[in-house]
Amino acid sequence: MLKKRIIPVLLLQEGRMVKGKNFKDYVDTGNPISQVKIYTAQYTDELMFIDIQASLNSRKTLLNIISSSAKESHMPFSVGGGIKSLTDIREILAAGADKVLINTSAFENRDFIKQAVKKFGSQAIILGIDYKYDDTINQNRVWTHSATKQTIAEPFELSQIYEDLNVGEIMLNSIDRDGMMKGYDIDLAKKVSKTIKIPVILCGGGGNFDHLVDVFNKTEVAATACGSLFHFGDNSPMRARSHLKNQGILMRSIR
Amino acid sequence: MIGIIDYGLGNLSSVLNAFKRITTEVEVFSDPKKTKIYSKLVLPGVGSFKSGMDLLKNKNWVPEIKSYVTTGKPLLGICLGMQLLFSKGEEDGVSEGLDLISGNVTKMKVDKNLKLPHVGWNNLIIKKKHPLFENIKEGIDFYFVHSYICIPHEKEDIQAEVFYGDNFVSCVAKKNVFGAQFHPEKSMPSGMILLKNFIEWKFEC
Amino acid sequence: MKNNLKKCNQCQLPETYETIEFDNKGGCNICSSTKFKNTEIDWKSRKKLLNELIEENRGKYNYDCIIPFSGGKDSVFTLNYLIKEYKIKPLVVRFNHGFIRKTIQDNVHTTLKKLGVDFIDFTPNWKIVKKVMLEAFKRKTDFCWHCHTGIYSYPIRVALMYKVPLIFYGEAMAEFSNYYDYKTHTIEKEDEEKFLMLRTLGITAEDMHGMINKADDPVDIRDLYPYTFPDAEDLKKLKYNPVCLGSYIPWDHHKNTEQIKKELGWKNDELEGVPSEINPHGEKIECFMQGTRDYIKFLKRGYSRVSQINSFNVRNNRMTPAEAKEMNEKFDGRKPPSLEVFLEYVGLSEEEFNQFVDKTVIPPNKPNYKLDKIAKKTWDFDDWYREDNNKK
Repeated sequence: MLKKRIIPVLLLQEGRMVKGKNFKDYVDTGNPISQVKIYTAQYTDELMFIDIQASLNSRKTLLNIISSSAKESHMPFSVGGGIKSLTDIREILAAGADKVLINTSAFENRDFIKQAVKKFGSQAIILGIDYKYDDTINQNRVWTHSATKQTIAEPFELSQIYEDLNVGEIMLNSIDRDGMMKGYDIDLAKKVSKTIKIPVILCGGGGNFDHLVDVFNKTEVAATACGSLFHFGDNSPMRARSHLKNQGILMRSIR
Repeated sequence: MIGIIDYGLGNLSSVLNAFKRITTEVEVFSDPKKTKIYSKLVLPGVGSFKSGMDLLKNKNWVPEIKSYVTTGKPLLGICLGMQLLFSKGEEDGVSEGLDLISGNVTKMKVDKNLKLPHVGWNNLIIKKKHPLFENIKEGIDFYFVHSYICIPHEKEDIQAEVFYGDNFVSCVAKKNVFGAQFHPEKSMPSGMILLKNFIEWKFEC
Repeated sequence: MKNNLKKCNQCQLPETYETIEFDNKGGCNICSSTKFKNTEIDWKSRKKLLNELIEENRGKYNYDCIIPFSGGKDSVFTLNYLIKEYKIKPLVVRFNHGFIRKTIQDNVHTTLKKLGVDFIDFTPNWKIVKKVMLEAFKRKTDFCWHCHTGIYSYPIRVALMYKVPLIFYGEAMAEFSNYYDYKTHTIEKEDEEKFLMLRTLGITAEDMHGMINKADDPVDIRDLYPYTFPDAEDLKKLKYNPVCLGSYIPWDHHKNTEQIKKELGWKNDELEGVPSEINPHGEKIECFMQGTRDYIKFLKRGYSRVSQINSFNVRNNRMTPAEAKEMNEKFDGRKPPSLEVFLEYVGLSEEEFNQFVDKTVIPPNKPNYKLDKIAKKTWDFDDWYREDNNKK
């Protein structure tokens, strides 16, 4: 049977890995190449890099990191951060990544996504939805541009629109819960993962293994993306898998 | 020397890097005329059946690959590469495949609560004792990412299955041809064992 | 405070123990691996492999092998065994973590003199040690980063320096965890993969440098070299081979300790927080921060050193599961006097310490920060190095 996945997320800034809270107050979390080596040694299920600067320079650094990582490591990689064109996608996949994560550009240009799926295949495209709860209207709203621009879109509705674009996966990311380590947004995750037919990756709020167990027990989410869980906890992917297996969640077997 | 076919689709560096960890006798090549010089061939690929076959046809790979297989030298198809080995594919319109293994490639039909693509780690249900499965224990997971599956006409071509709501074909083989629906180059450490087995595979006609 | 953690019905280790997995009969993967070790491994053929390995290296290099050494029961046993059994010429190497206790130091002197070996002892910069201890503690609540990374990389660095390919570590991880498993029939090595997998705690020296190097308090990258695994290309050229003796001979703590007590006069010592009757074989007596290390484990994971020692006893049929359970409940988890020493070194108050630990508690454990069971001070407590760094 298909196993649940745990995907460490590595945020790239000025050539280092960082982690923040609510998309700000970033703290250094290591050298990207050595972090890839560590996750490789742990036989991590999958890895996700996000370039949070998304500038020309940072893109160069990102591509170098992906090439080195692809040589050191042999696990599936996804890469995101300012992907705007088919050329961007081609460059990133050619450097060694398996999938790209597209957020703002997907929101602004659905045709771009259709072209990307046609050219690179649906399995190569993950669409990201960052969202925040707006307590003036008591509803979630999608944010773009690295959580700096609020839109009028609602994440559940957007996930249904994205599903029709024939992409491989959707990643939901709660800006409110990001870095808080108090648990994931089970309510929205449940709704989205039950309704849409493509796999959902859930991000934002993972602080300990029980949060992961909660997600997999209460929703149909396929994978949890984790940042702080690994950077600021005495946790590792191997330990996570053992813990989740003990709770009856199907996880990958290495040996 | 093992040749990895570069027909313009998908990223070959992962496949190349994985093989390079085991042997130096491997290279990527994009000239179909060079096909015959290799002792073993690898056909990788990600994307749609139609785009894969269009590229193979346009660059004249089809006759070279077919004639290569008649010599008895081994060919490994990975993911889309496995699907292209078949007679017909239904992704993006119906197209003809390499027809090295009789059968069709069709959309996976799963329970409505199961998501597609089938992406992530799943274990092989080994049906036959094949040299490529040597030292690979049942229950170990490999990385899959696909929405289409292969249905061989000859059931004896099925070497392994995978369960996702139902049993689907995960590995096929016919004589010197072997196909893996999953990505051995992304499925460490067992994927490496499979690749090593392929490198050591001495196919007897 | 009862925690109701699920436990292995044999060794009694709880679900919060790293890499433990329970089977459908209530046993665990580590017990299963040990059972395999005792019944399925052909130790005769492993010994043959060891014989061959020794002969392949004998006399060819500046030393026959490197033996990483602490003076604790495992490394003393390893050194004693290899010398007595094979009469090799080793270079003995110690990475000194800074918390060596007197009895162990005496054991080191006695052992080295009785066996007659060359010895290299390296102690890293204490100011840097304090910095990395604090950083590792803040992020992982595991302050032993410098020790793990140093012990498992420095002797390999020495191997490169002296051009000696063979390195003998002692106990295999398979003995007490499932990062490695006896069932895979492999010789366990202290290679780069293992270093990255579990010795670094997820932080390499390069990572650490970026984390502690501040504009107003810069750190020279060279200060992190003692914790850096050597370059892969250099190691490849050397054909380095960092094996675990525990993959060639069946490891038995009790027998090993009896042998070194008898042959070398190796001395046991008190262990903070563990009744002496439970520790006749001298587990963990090398380091005077051990009590604090075990206390943090107890807060985070709900078990501590007594449970760990008894898990070996159950697996080796020296104790029944019921006896282990009773003893664990009675004696496990003591607040250590060494805590105040640790807090002094890193400049934290106990409240700050608790706050950090609280962030990394492994569910479903619920810690008791007001533990009233205090460990006795060990006899050498007053000898331990103190600093004027008190934060009240």
